[in-house]
Amino acid sequence: MRLRTLLLKEWEEARRIKMVIYGVVFLPLFMLGLAVLMAWQARDLPLEAQAVMLNTSLLYFVILPIMIPLSIAVYAIVGEKEQGTLEPLLATPLTETELFMGKGLAAVIPALIITWLTYGAFLAVTWALLGAIPEGVLSAPWLASVFLLSPLLAMFAVLVTVLVSSRTTDPRAAYQFSSLALLPALVPLIVYSTQLTAVSLTLVAVEAAVLIALNAVILYVAVRLFRRESILTRWR
Amino acid sequence: MISAQGLTRRFGDRAAVTDLSLSVPEGAVLGLLGPNGAGKTTTVRLLTCLLSPDAGSALVAGHDIATDPQAVRRSVGLLTESPGLYKRLSVWQNLLLFAQLHEVAKPEEKAQRYLSLMGLWDRRKDLAGTLSKGLAQRLALARALVHEPPALFLDEPTAGLDPEAAREVRILMEELRSEQRAVILCTHNLPEAERLCDRIVVLNTRSVSEGTPQELKLRMFGARTVVRLARPQPELAPALRDLPFVKEAESSDGELSVEMEKAETHNPELVRHLVEMGAEILHVLPQERTLEDVYLKLMEDEDAA
Repeated sequence: MRLRTLLLKEWEEARRIKMVIYGVVFLPLFMLGLAVLMAWQARDLPLEAQAVMLNTSLLYFVILPIMIPLSIAVYAIVGEKEQGTLEPLLATPLTETELFMGKGLAAVIPALIITWLTYGAFLAVTWALLGAIPEGVLSAPWLASVFLLSPLLAMFAVLVTVLVSSRTTDPRAAYQFSSLALLPALVPLIVYSTQLTAVSLTLVAVEAAVLIALNAVILYVAVRLFRRESILTRWR
Repeated sequence: MISAQGLTRRFGDRAAVTDLSLSVPEGAVLGLLGPNGAGKTTTVRLLTCLLSPDAGSALVAGHDIATDPQAVRRSVGLLTESPGLYKRLSVWQNLLLFAQLHEVAKPEEKAQRYLSLMGLWDRRKDLAGTLSKGLAQRLALARALVHEPPALFLDEPTAGLDPEAAREVRILMEELRSEQRAVILCTHNLPEAERLCDRIVVLNTRSVSEGTPQELKLRMFGARTVVRLARPQPELAPALRDLPFVKEAESSDGELSVEMEKAETHNPELVRHLVEMGAEILHVLPQERTLEDVYLKLMEDEDAA
């Protein structure tokens, strides 16, 4: 009940912040447009060349679960600090786990919903434009990337943002530092989107394993950061 | 309702609060006075389970801060130094949020009640960020009260407010006294503390002095009477010191300042002796000391120590 209350509060606040609206509305539309453009350009190419081009467009769908939670999580934490609302919030019966889950889920849930909706829109638009869904975009590596990697990437983005945001009072600085810290997560994706190698289940599995390990380590640190004492005495 | 024994908290090498004991029964207001860094906010944070003590114990509304922090948080209302409102949410959303986080029954009814009580019902749809400082502080007070806690902690409730807004908040606080809550008030505003508090603890990381405002004044300055003379008669002061009920007597500029055991009992006798000594008395007045005098003297003694 308290977790639900906190989630609704986070979303109510987020929808009034321009930076967040840009992240959850315009960025997905932009990515969708780019992906569709690639599919359109690849329409007359031989199957092998088409697969290579579509390989690149997958990058757009794995960037979304990183970038969308970033803006929400930055404001969910730095916003509390800016407004001086953490102390009254911590004086309620809200548990530290509920606070942490509330901040995290408020960013992860919209990121996944929007990513998956954008992917669905991509399938629908390409089908409408090309008369068929391009071969490959419904393959196992694609589906694993969109549905397995996305939650891990979103979680990674939120955890990194929590760590960075706890040390700054400026949302723009938090956004920029978090973005930099998230770049390593994109390296494997950039590798195969720049056609150095093709998307494969093995690659997706390796990245998933690395993300799970990273998330576990950062989660351990982030949970400790979310103790009441730490928030009041160590956050800046 | 609120009691603490030997509360101690350090941050690294720095002692924030040392061996602090206090007690606040229901319906009473305890003032915590002290300079910046004296440990007032830390004390409030310890008693509201935002920080853990290194030593000592405390009960708030019957719940132990060490073993039952969730129950303590359910029982306390906290007004922080800055209002700490969600500026992008409406007045109504701000209050309802905290009513729901405290899981009060019928949160909408409670929110409506406290918004009306604080005179904010007509502003309920406005964003909290558009409120004036005074109104924001009222909303923060409503937030501290919306779950009707038996223990209330008010940290600098009138800091930064203009005189009119500060007066409004003080009136609201006076109303709280009649609701049988235990209130701890941290303030730098000494006249406010004198007016609102039943007891005072002067802190400087540890309790420097404690008592009712009147007790503190008597303890620091004793009961003094000022005798205004028609002309300077410095010879009277040494003669007065020989009287058994006089503790101290000073003379300056045609004025005698006399400290006695009990001014109200000994004043007639003092006047009789002065007349016999040839004093030409214009008037006799009790010397009024304020809590500010007490506080400044205590801090002076602290610095000297």
